Amino acid sequence: MSPARADGRPGDLALNLRATWGRMYVRVVGSAREPTWIMSDAVFPALSMASFVLLYRALGAPRSFESLAVLGGIMATYWINVLWGMGAQLYWEKQSGQLQLYFIAPCSRMSILTGMALGGIFMTTTRAIFSIAVGFGLLGVRVAPFALAPLLLVFVVTMTALYGLGMTLASLFLLYGREAWHVCNALQEPVFFLSGLYFPLRALGALGAVAAGIVPLGLGVDAMRQVILGPAARGWLPVRVEVAILAVLAVVFLILARASLRYLEALSKREGRLTQRWQ
Amino acid sequence: MSRPAILAARLRTAAWLGWQIEANWADPFTFIVYSAVRPLATALILAVMYRAVAGIASSGQAFLGFYVANAFHEYVIRVLVGMGWVIVEEREEFETLKFVYTSPIGMFTYLWGRSSVKFVQASLSLLLILTTGWLILGLRWDWGAVRWLPLLLSFVLGLIAIVYFGFFVAGWALVLPRAAISVNEGVAAALTLLCGVIFPIDLLPRAVQVVAMLLPFTWWYEALRRFLIGHGASARLSSFSDGALLAALAVSTALFSCVSVWGYGVLERRARQNGKLDQARLF
Repeated sequence: MSPARADGRPGDLALNLRATWGRMYVRVVGSAREPTWIMSDAVFPALSMASFVLLYRALGAPRSFESLAVLGGIMATYWINVLWGMGAQLYWEKQSGQLQLYFIAPCSRMSILTGMALGGIFMTTTRAIFSIAVGFGLLGVRVAPFALAPLLLVFVVTMTALYGLGMTLASLFLLYGREAWHVCNALQEPVFFLSGLYFPLRALGALGAVAAGIVPLGLGVDAMRQVILGPAARGWLPVRVEVAILAVLAVVFLILARASLRYLEALSKREGRLTQRWQ
Repeated sequence: MSRPAILAARLRTAAWLGWQIEANWADPFTFIVYSAVRPLATALILAVMYRAVAGIASSGQAFLGFYVANAFHEYVIRVLVGMGWVIVEEREEFETLKFVYTSPIGMFTYLWGRSSVKFVQASLSLLLILTTGWLILGLRWDWGAVRWLPLLLSFVLGLIAIVYFGFFVAGWALVLPRAAISVNEGVAAALTLLCGVIFPIDLLPRAVQVVAMLLPFTWWYEALRRFLIGHGASARLSSFSDGALLAALAVSTALFSCVSVWGYGVLERRARQNGKLDQARLF
């Protein structure tokens, strides 16, 4: 684990940190290079969010529900990134013929996935600014002043759990061909629903509790809403409890990602599916 | 063979191919579950949003109209947006668009045939959403008050608008390699917002309302609500008589269809000139 070996080559830790930085760099720099991707990542989720806010307005709901929908819409961009930018990423790499390069590199695969996750969080955060502008600027949704430090803490724990899940999905999809695409498609709106992105999580009752134990998005959104909106968030569990559960989920998903990556890499090599395209 | 028989054979072939591409990655049960899960989840999001505010909202009775329109919006998502996806799949993923162009089928016939499978999927999603609403969520209307003839006429006019605008979206996808995915998804989200699928267009800024009223889908959703459940959603559009509403739908559909066919031609020519018909950049 030394920073450098006697022959001048980087040690394991330095090598993996470099790999993480290298994979993250692509996303950080690439996030501003393709205007059409900025459109799709930033503008389109904001359009859906605006529709849900206007639905509450049309129903004559209290204004606090509009805030709930805006916060949910902002967090939806992260779930989309977890699915398509993490879960399906190795599928994209396989289709473009680059996946094998990851496997001949001397670094850990987890360091590459970590770089992808950090870059994804950065990229999505820049996109989320547009949703914030639409929600709180264009649509005129308002929130009272709130404490920033607890919000950042909840956000960091939520992102760790969420992107840990993304890393697990990425390893699972190593084995998949076209199914990866369809699974991502199938997981988008159902997770929006089960995570209560556009309504209080507790409105789902027991179903919400089960879903919260599998996908960390619901708990994260609920905790962030409670920090920002207070009692108007109609929270499900106390914030401390939700953060504790999220922290456990983060550890579980990171361990699971590492284990499943090893197992499925070996399996897909045995079955000859690691570099199989157009399937 | 006569010309109609040739057309029918080509449509059948394109539909069969579409079915294989859409469904052959999974067994039938998995495919049915996969097809049902997204539209059902969207409908349930709306239903729980409504339930969450049912006791405190001031105008909850308007929700049925939004739910019904959202069910019909499946045609826009599946058929219209799906025609843009056909281009992405054929060019970027399977790299077979050039073979379609070199075959005698013709792109309009091919897209039409491929969209027929998506039409069936959308129809099943519609039935699923409405049945769920009726049986589980208690979202019901008076069947005796349904005005079938104008409802059927509205439905057909809307479908024509969807298919023709689908041609335009496909043309747009031709000139935007790689970015076509974004355009496809954006069209669905933009139409949800612009056409007042789940809220009345009265809530949009005045200038945006004018744009909304140029789109046939705005009139389509309003007509479907009015003729199926007995009332529309928009105060502004409620001032139109039934005849005026249908006329607006028909005229906007006709204009939109002409513009879409013309637009497809322009975009396809540009794609040919710029060498983008066969430019795979996604994978």
